Amino acid sequence: MPDAEAKKTDKTEDKSKTDDSKKEEPMTPLQEVKHNVSLIDRAVLTLEPRFIHRVLRTLTSLRKKVDDSIIRTAIEEIYPKDHPAKKPLVSWLPEPTMDVDTAARLSITISLQEPTPESEVYLRLLILYNLLSSPSTYEKALELAQTTVEKIQNLNRRSMDPIAAKVWYAVERAYELGANLADARPLFLAAQRTAALRHDNETQASLINCLLRNYVYYNLYDQADKLFSKTTFPTSAGNPQLARYHYYLGRIKAVQLNYSEAHSNLQQALRRAPPPKTAPGFYQAVHKFFILVELLMGDIPERSLFRHPVLEKALSAYFEIVKAVRSGSLSQFQTTLSKHSAQFEADRTYTLIVRLRQNVIKTGIRRLSLSYSRISLRDICVKLHLDSEEDAEYIVGKAIRDGVIEGRIVHEKGWMECGSQKSGYGPEVSEMFGRRVTFCLDLHNQSIKAMRYPLNAHRKELAAAEGARERERELAKEIQEGDLDEDDIGGDF
Amino acid sequence: MSPSNLNALYNNLQQSFNAKPCDVKKCGSLLAQLKIALIESGLLLPHGENNLHDLVVARDILEIGAFWSIRAHDVPSFDRYFSQLQTFYTDYSSVLPPSKRELPIRGLNLIRLLTQNRIADFHTTLESLPIRAEAIADNPYISHPVNLERWLMEGSYSKVWNAREEAPAEEYKFFVDSLMGTIRNEIASCEETAYESLPLKDAATLLFFLNQSDLLKFAEQRGWQIDLAASTITFAKKAEEKAEIPKEKLIIACLGYARELEQIV
Repeated sequence: MPDAEAKKTDKTEDKSKTDDSKKEEPMTPLQEVKHNVSLIDRAVLTLEPRFIHRVLRTLTSLRKKVDDSIIRTAIEEIYPKDHPAKKPLVSWLPEPTMDVDTAARLSITISLQEPTPESEVYLRLLILYNLLSSPSTYEKALELAQTTVEKIQNLNRRSMDPIAAKVWYAVERAYELGANLADARPLFLAAQRTAALRHDNETQASLINCLLRNYVYYNLYDQADKLFSKTTFPTSAGNPQLARYHYYLGRIKAVQLNYSEAHSNLQQALRRAPPPKTAPGFYQAVHKFFILVELLMGDIPERSLFRHPVLEKALSAYFEIVKAVRSGSLSQFQTTLSKHSAQFEADRTYTLIVRLRQNVIKTGIRRLSLSYSRISLRDICVKLHLDSEEDAEYIVGKAIRDGVIEGRIVHEKGWMECGSQKSGYGPEVSEMFGRRVTFCLDLHNQSIKAMRYPLNAHRKELAAAEGARERERELAKEIQEGDLDEDDIGGDF
Repeated sequence: MSPSNLNALYNNLQQSFNAKPCDVKKCGSLLAQLKIALIESGLLLPHGENNLHDLVVARDILEIGAFWSIRAHDVPSFDRYFSQLQTFYTDYSSVLPPSKRELPIRGLNLIRLLTQNRIADFHTTLESLPIRAEAIADNPYISHPVNLERWLMEGSYSKVWNAREEAPAEEYKFFVDSLMGTIRNEIASCEETAYESLPLKDAATLLFFLNQSDLLKFAEQRGWQIDLAASTITFAKKAEEKAEIPKEKLIIACLGYARELEQIV
């Protein structure tokens, strides 16, 4: 699951920016790396963070294509022969095998100027991901992560921020895979403070997510909740970060029994997440919690969800749980729970599922109350597999008090009489309607806010306004000179 | 205060804590002195590297303190000891040998949250327990509060009632007693809505009253009508609530829609 989260990309955003010729003919990974480095250099020189963002968007796909030799050649080609930054960079790569392709090196067009520190960090990031791809190099990755972070902090350049955000994520992975995640906490907390002070939104967003993940990983929901209440998540953060943030928030809220908020957070996470095919792991992980929270709220998730190609297999165990809850059968619920307990444990949803027990009972009672107008407590006990009649009486009593069913108990006769169902119309209906309308309006307003306008479009209007003013002035002048009658003016306007 | 003094006090405390019956007053005064000693040697809230033996002693003292607070019926004090112990249980868990008293104390904390009806905190604490979720059932100290919570939520009150004798440690009983008061009120509120009338005898069994006078007192508190001749309790039905149309709310909502529509068009 964790790796799947890393697979998220920004692809949903900005399809419009395909103006680059890059898409037309696929580049070799080597060319791509070089092209990216030059883009970064351009971004730093022209103070246009746009280019860096474009580079970082390709990071995920590029990451899978590059290997040691590609990075090595790229470094060789990008840096002049004895550049001080070159040696430490190369030292992170394993010794080259014999066939260093000199052929490629012949076709170099030596880069025009001194590479910027940003490009160096970018290359480090690539190396870091490469090291993280195999367990044998985790230690090395951790070491590299630490030095890279130090380097970023020493350089303290604002143009570095977008890359730094990505680096922090990689650092978090390095700690998680290679060492103890808990050790990284002080480092992250300090960095988060600095980022907040510098209004470095991207790094801040990335770090808050890392910290939340860190806390949730160790089940420290209290601390995670405190972090959430003490920080403000930067609104300008990108969709992937926002999706992760909502996901962790949803998990925290679910643990705290705040199901309705957890529900809306997880829903946000799903909406912000990249398409299911791009990041299947994240999609599945969110859905697991989403389904459980829905069940805990007393709703039954839609059947179509479990037919989704990405989800079908991953959610099969959850589907069985849903079936058990829907039918209100405690025994089926218990067997499903014990059958899949290992998976639930791994998904860390076990405790949430255990909480569903009472929902199963409630659904069962509600089904009985709908189909019988009078039923003895003994039969309830048998049908719901409760332990004793006495229990059944208390449970039904509680259900009546909680408003799950309408009815009353006749103690002397030992049965439950079910009252008539409420009619479906009442103030709740308008409330529900109101909620939906507000949601739609909110969506509309949000999308208007998210619209982008071409940069200089208002100039044209300005020019038009300028012209109108000019005409008006002329008109005024003519009036002064007495060339016009009052009627004419009225007509003219 | 010198370390030897601390040790002497510590031994003294252990003796009077383990003595039967436990001398609550003496323990209290010893604990107060020991806490000062701990602060002086920087062990109450330790940070950094410390002598392993010292840490264990400090943890023991705090654990005894936690148990003592329960015996002295002082819940806020238990709360304080528990939060002080957190440092030892979480931050030093890799260094210190595990404590036998850790899980009982955590279990006590869970019950405390339950009696105070802090269900959300209860679940958060449960999630952060150092044992695996499946293993909970095997541990009497933890499974006890977990089962209590489940029964309470389901409404199986009789199971909660029966479980009060099964408390895994003497200290649990203090909380269980106060839990019974909560349950009785829960049951009473259920009965009010679920029954029209109830024979006195059955009401007593349902509410776990052993004699009728207790029941009568309780019924009086809740304002139930008692017919002694027929020996039944009648619950006053709340008058059918008249469905009222929330005019103001609807108007505000409609105006809101109109304004938003205006913006769109």
